[in-house]
Amino acid sequence: MQNHKQGHLGRRAALALGGGVVAALAAPNVRRLRAAEVLFVNTWGGIWERAAIKNLFEPFTRDTGIEIRPVSPVSFAKLAQQVRSGAYEFDVTTLGGGEIIRANQAKIIEPLEGTDLAKSPPFHGAVFQNGATSHAFATVIAYQKARYPNGAPTGWADFWDQGKFPGSRCMQRYASRVLPLGLVADGVPTDTLYPMDIDRAFRSLDKIKPATRVWWTQGQQSQQLLRDGEIDMIALWHARVLELQDEGKPVEIVWNQAQIDRAYWVVAKGTPRRDAALRYIEAALKPERLAGFCRDAMLGPLNPAAFNHLSEAEAARMPTAPAYKGKVFEQDVLNFGGDVNAVTQRFERWIGA
Amino acid sequence: MDEAAGSPAVSRRIAPQRASLRPWLLLMPLLVFLAAFFLVPLAQVAMMSVTEPEFGFGHYASIATDGFYLRVLADTFATALLVATCCLVLGFPLAYAMAAASPNMAAAMMIVVTMSFWTSFLVRTYAWMVLLGRSGPIAALLDWIGLPHGELLFTRFSSTIAMTHILLPYMVVSLYAVLRKIEPSLLRSAASLGASPTSVLRHVVLPLAAPGVVNGLTLVFVLCLGFYVTPILLGSPREQMVAGVIGQQIEEFLNFGEASALAVVLLASTLIVLGLYHRRFGLDKLWG
Amino acid sequence: MRGLLLSLGAVVLAFIAAPLLIVVPMSFSSAASLEFPPPGWTTAYYGAFFGDARWTQPTINSILIALAVAVLTMAMVTPATFALVRHRFAGKSTINLLLMLPLAVPHIVIAIGYYAYLSDLRLLQTFPGVILAHTALSVPMAFLVLSASLKGFDRSLERAAMSLGASPAATFRHVTLPVLWPGFAAAALFAFIQSFDETVVALFVSGRDSMTLPRKMFDSIRTTADPVIAVVSTLLFFTVAALVILPMLWRSFSRSRS
Repeated sequence: MQNHKQGHLGRRAALALGGGVVAALAAPNVRRLRAAEVLFVNTWGGIWERAAIKNLFEPFTRDTGIEIRPVSPVSFAKLAQQVRSGAYEFDVTTLGGGEIIRANQAKIIEPLEGTDLAKSPPFHGAVFQNGATSHAFATVIAYQKARYPNGAPTGWADFWDQGKFPGSRCMQRYASRVLPLGLVADGVPTDTLYPMDIDRAFRSLDKIKPATRVWWTQGQQSQQLLRDGEIDMIALWHARVLELQDEGKPVEIVWNQAQIDRAYWVVAKGTPRRDAALRYIEAALKPERLAGFCRDAMLGPLNPAAFNHLSEAEAARMPTAPAYKGKVFEQDVLNFGGDVNAVTQRFERWIGA
Repeated sequence: MDEAAGSPAVSRRIAPQRASLRPWLLLMPLLVFLAAFFLVPLAQVAMMSVTEPEFGFGHYASIATDGFYLRVLADTFATALLVATCCLVLGFPLAYAMAAASPNMAAAMMIVVTMSFWTSFLVRTYAWMVLLGRSGPIAALLDWIGLPHGELLFTRFSSTIAMTHILLPYMVVSLYAVLRKIEPSLLRSAASLGASPTSVLRHVVLPLAAPGVVNGLTLVFVLCLGFYVTPILLGSPREQMVAGVIGQQIEEFLNFGEASALAVVLLASTLIVLGLYHRRFGLDKLWG
Repeated sequence: MRGLLLSLGAVVLAFIAAPLLIVVPMSFSSAASLEFPPPGWTTAYYGAFFGDARWTQPTINSILIALAVAVLTMAMVTPATFALVRHRFAGKSTINLLLMLPLAVPHIVIAIGYYAYLSDLRLLQTFPGVILAHTALSVPMAFLVLSASLKGFDRSLERAAMSLGASPAATFRHVTLPVLWPGFAAAALFAFIQSFDETVVALFVSGRDSMTLPRKMFDSIRTTADPVIAVVSTLLFFTVAALVILPMLWRSFSRSRS
């Protein structure tokens, strides 16, 4: 009869919904059962991630059987949050020079002393501030060719010069990288930057602030802004510009006064997958893997043995190439000139002011 | 309305002493749930504002004296006011057109408004990024006309126009609800008594539409105060709104105390506005 | 004056519609940029969406979470609505206000509350955590819709059934529920869509395994101009269109039937 049918339908619907609720609650467990062991590694997406998957993640999985899942976006704040909340988005991430100092101060990365990596480092300086030294990259100036047909910027002073080179700017929202650029633009020679005169750096940054439309936080974002033509001049990582040039986009790169920074693999403090994480960062420094990763992502390996696996032509595109030696300058994070954390806070305030 | 109405057979089945307990039994699951999973976290925010990292009202003092925070709060209020006004200016002609249109036409227009209302505001924010981008249609149009336009995206303009677009359906629905109730005969008789169209608008339509106007303005203003996503995605980094600053304090600096204090200020402002509305009109009218 | 208002109204309608429509052609763009009109056309990004677990997993997560939220919300709101609409008792107006409170609180405020609270409960970045948070946020709308439906319900139908000898339970099942069903379904749908679209709380509370689609979209919009975002937007847009237009068609169909 009509009533029975309705009753059946109602029951079936209720069962279906109930099943849905159960499935929702059980979903993560199902995934966990399938994978033997998993490691979550933070990546920068795009070309960086593809290079990492091919040269670092897949070989590691072949060796150990541990599956690596890439997690984006990269966020220093997330690294700190995880320790506090106990919910780990990622176990391994890369940090730049300025960040690793802050990370150690805040005690959010696993100490490496006592590990195999620390006891017998594959090369001098492989372990720095509880991070595994991996590769170098450069923050360079890139600009739209069409915007500057008569003379292009050749250094940070030009980047700052809005009269001679009008247009919108874009820089990374990263205090320890941007402040030195302000000093260089103000005329400080690159070999006497550190310890930095922080107040002078901020005063210099005040001059460029009106023209800075966006402060980028993710590598792909910086590349997108340049590709879309949203900004005229940008300070971003060299690999992103080289990739655009390989695509045939009308952008130019300026190697003069490029700022080198180093990337270190770190393990999040207290992660339940600590052992797998430590194995991973050790494996990431292996010469051929590092060489392959750097070749595909256009970075400069810091393990000297990696250069045995790279051709001369490939090595020439890397920021650590001898050809650029006279032009680039390195950061000296241990000699910063102030408390990195406090300066970063001040920088964040300054951006919003 | 009591269940005791009806035949004597029914009222005999319901024992009198259980009748007064019944509504509370029905309400209990929801009330317990809301207490545990809404009131407690909300109270925790207030608590953190005075206990993190140490006990004291330092965060509130900091907000009251820090130029940065004061500017952010002022900007937020000003923007919310601006967006509410824009929504009114844009929403009124549309609501009027809908009220004056034939039922089928009005229904079709309502479908468009409803579609916008139900489309996720992430989708609408993304759409505005496409529209206002350097290689987007609006820039192309302005270039073609020959109008110098400067940057359209990542400005206060882009943030404002996107928020206006997202909140416009609220205003349109509020206005339409009152405008459609206006008897056309009322307008006709006013006109026949010699009133000019402007006069009819000013002296007949607007006063009758006033409740809808207040409704719409309140709703849009309150929603805009707490806007997080759109200003972050396409606003200017120099003109942040308070919700973005709250998020940043948590995400970047784990500054729970300061973030909570700002959140309490935001919540208080919202509740004050809603409270004023409730006093005058009754909150059930707002979402009715 | 009238003509001016009407033509302005048409312009505003176009203003509302244009951004919604622009995502559709963008989803067929061949360029990984925000360029419009697109330089070329392809359906490749649709394939990219359906083939990429990093998009499909959050989509599935969002659907499952929204389903659970709808069920949980309706399970608690339905008896509460009956209590508030059909009974008179002290404290009713206060409870009414309490039920509306989640609508009045800006999401960023309660998001940080949930972040701290769920973190303490070790429910952060888990499915149950997101479900519980979203349920609380869905309560007001579900209550408003269901109570509107219930208030319009003609009690004489129930009285007639009971006077004919039906028990209260049977009356509820065979008289009340079928008539109330559209309002009930609408409330459940509101709760579902609320949870599915909710962004701010999800940003703080959902995580790696329980990531929701809005959270994935937010991260994506922030970093890239991937046309996959346009694909997702188009799919969402047409899903909403179906969900909004279908009930309207159903209503006019059942109206023409009766």
